[in-house]
Amino acid sequence: MSPAAQVLTALGWIVVALAISPMIWLLLQPYMKSWSRAERRAAGLLHDTLTPEQCQQLVWRGYLEIPSPTEPLRVYRVPRTKGYVQVIENGRAVMRLCLQPIECLPDADLVVLHKLMIEANEEVYLQKANKYLCLD
Amino acid sequence: MLRVMSRRGDDRVTWDEQKVLAGDPEALAAIREAERIFAQERAKGATAFKVETGKPAERIEQFDRTAEQIIMVPRVVGG
Repeated sequence: MSPAAQVLTALGWIVVALAISPMIWLLLQPYMKSWSRAERRAAGLLHDTLTPEQCQQLVWRGYLEIPSPTEPLRVYRVPRTKGYVQVIENGRAVMRLCLQPIECLPDADLVVLHKLMIEANEEVYLQKANKYLCLD
Repeated sequence: MLRVMSRRGDDRVTWDEQKVLAGDPEALAAIREAERIFAQERAKGATAFKVETGKPAERIEQFDRTAEQIIMVPRVVGG
């Protein structure tokens, strides 16, 4: 293929890409908008539910520590994004818990879910979670 | 306020308790809608928590129109 033909082919592909990119954007825009709206709403709920100190901990450390309402030496470490909840007893990680809602939720809502269930429904929370012991 | 967690973030129904007591039709309609959603979500296995400023969250079985905020979380399963 001659250099001129190669340049024309490249230009052709660029024209095709430019032509279809607005269509792709129009197709994806509603999903992107709704996702970001969901995240914003979830962030609002999280902000309303946590104390300023808890918000700070979540941002800076990437997790939220929730003291057990029944065991004074137990703390649940809830990650900011999806993942296992660590159970810390006497300063040592003893267990990882996996629990998820049947409906997909924004990450910020998951933190609120764990917090509410641990604080007000710990027994059921522990019953339902899959447990993975941490071995030294 | 009733907040129901979903993939859309959270859906909210708000009402003014004072207007409800005064018999305001819009506030009464909002309460009825919140009660309907509460019952519907509970039937699907959702758990409801009463959340009030300065107090620990409390799990509730019945709709409480006097609650500052009720948050409903979907049914959970071990992952």
